[in-house]
Amino acid sequence: MAGEIVLGYDGSDGAKYALGAAARLAGDLGATLVPAFCFEPTPVGGEVGDYREALRELGERVIGEAGDQVRAGGIEGDPRLVEDRPAPGRARLAVELGARMIVVGSSGERPLAGAILGATPHKLLHIAETPVLVVRA
Amino acid sequence: MLGLVAGAVALQAPAVLWVSFLPMLFIAMAYLYMNRADPDCGTTFSWVTKAMGPFAGWMGGWAIVVADVIVMANLAQIAGLYTFLLFGLDGAAESVLAVTTVGVVWIVIMTAITTIGIELSARTQQFLLGAAVIALALFAGVALVKVYAGAAGPGAITPELSWFNPFAIDSVGALTSGVLLAVFIYWGWDSLVTVNEETEDSANTPGRAAIFATLILVGIYVIVATAAQAFGGAAPLVENSDDVLSALGTAVLGEPWDKILIIAVLTSAAASTQTTILPTARTALSMARAKAFPERLGVVSPRYLTPAFATILMGALSIVWYAGLTLVSEDILFDSIAALGLMIAFYYGLSGFACTIYYRRELFKSVQSFLLVGVAPLLGGLILTFVFVKSCIDLADPESSSSGNSWFGVGPPLVIGVGFLLTGVLLMLIWRSTRPEFFERRAETFKEPAPAGGRG
Repeated sequence: MAGEIVLGYDGSDGAKYALGAAARLAGDLGATLVPAFCFEPTPVGGEVGDYREALRELGERVIGEAGDQVRAGGIEGDPRLVEDRPAPGRARLAVELGARMIVVGSSGERPLAGAILGATPHKLLHIAETPVLVVRA
Repeated sequence: MLGLVAGAVALQAPAVLWVSFLPMLFIAMAYLYMNRADPDCGTTFSWVTKAMGPFAGWMGGWAIVVADVIVMANLAQIAGLYTFLLFGLDGAAESVLAVTTVGVVWIVIMTAITTIGIELSARTQQFLLGAAVIALALFAGVALVKVYAGAAGPGAITPELSWFNPFAIDSVGALTSGVLLAVFIYWGWDSLVTVNEETEDSANTPGRAAIFATLILVGIYVIVATAAQAFGGAAPLVENSDDVLSALGTAVLGEPWDKILIIAVLTSAAASTQTTILPTARTALSMARAKAFPERLGVVSPRYLTPAFATILMGALSIVWYAGLTLVSEDILFDSIAALGLMIAFYYGLSGFACTIYYRRELFKSVQSFLLVGVAPLLGGLILTFVFVKSCIDLADPESSSSGNSWFGVGPPLVIGVGFLLTGVLLMLIWRSTRPEFFERRAETFKEPAPAGGRG
């Protein structure tokens, strides 16, 4: 399977598990791995500009580390920063790239808390047009 | 609020409410245009720094932070009080300890929610505001119908046109203190304009939604003030100045419909707590990134993607201020609203001037830009400066405060307001002596075309 695998990556423990699993998968399938970091400051709070910059810097650092790790494993990697909420951002990126799969880590939230707080993997499963693989942390 | 305004200007409260909106409208024009030139540039702190240099900018940012900390105490007080009123625990609502405890719990909850990044969406805000507006409209409608039907009780007066006439207010002092208090009512309205701008990407005029929302906002205040005043006269408003709506709500709507009003006040107080803490933390973040505040405040939590440290610090400062103030005296809490008005007048005034100064080379290019970018913000700035100065003079009289106390021979609101500003100047100078980098910046003017996302 040539093509791309989008990896939802935010630097959390769950995301690190997902990175391991996605890297092995990409290696076996000969696919390119695209770690994606999503962020979106709401305009409700005002002073969006500097907040956005701060998030972008954080994202670049986190996603840079992910990219280094992927490439260190001998896999082609192409990290992306996406300015959108995590679930729709990843879903959209996957469609844009024509990716074969989205890999995310479970956030480690208990089901009820996840349902109330809106766990990203759960949302992703419902909105993504691309198949989603959830790796348990 | 309404009670405090009524206390200041007697029956002309409706007039003050619409008149005091004008400078706010002018300042909102300033925000709108500054936001349009560089949407990434944030609000008062960044803009004033750009247009008027680092010292004015730092003080503007400081005033925002202080105003937000002060208002948190008042919001928490309302949220605490109305939590008890909602459940009919009127006894507990009388207890300062109980109300303050629940108020502090509200601040903790809203700080936690903001820290972990559950932001009320613009839609949730609209829903909460919409619900509040409907409840207030209901209150005003029923009250007015009862007044005209002669069913409102002995204190009722039929509304007169003179209520809406600002020239009927007999003293300039009463008008300015009324405007100072009313400035607080419209505070934050400017963010509505900029949010609208971002979300709807409108062309050259402020979005229709923003104008519509504005008219509703002003309309609802004026109508509610008229209705409340007509129903019971000015006296109950002044006597229950801490809490006009729950005092009149039962009389107007009757059980259990008066609960609608309580829910509306509670939800909007809770929502306001978040819309207060969110921008404060972001202003602190902006200032920290510009090296005007300690760096720690500019760190975004990798886990929650929010300025967690700044948010928690602001929550903690609010709690200290709120609990400390109620320990001293509950009356001081109401005095602090007048002090809050001074803060808002200060940084809104700065923002108005900043817009005119920043665009000074563009002003004569068209009539539209002359009026909207030049005259309106400048006028707003001048009016707010006048209100600031005149209020300072009036508030110097200890008799004019809610508490009637005298601190250092002057009224507590002035001590609180000016005290915070002087503390700011002191902190700024200390910061400058340790970290001079930010203060080496120079003011800029607008250059065509605006550099996209460029930062000064």
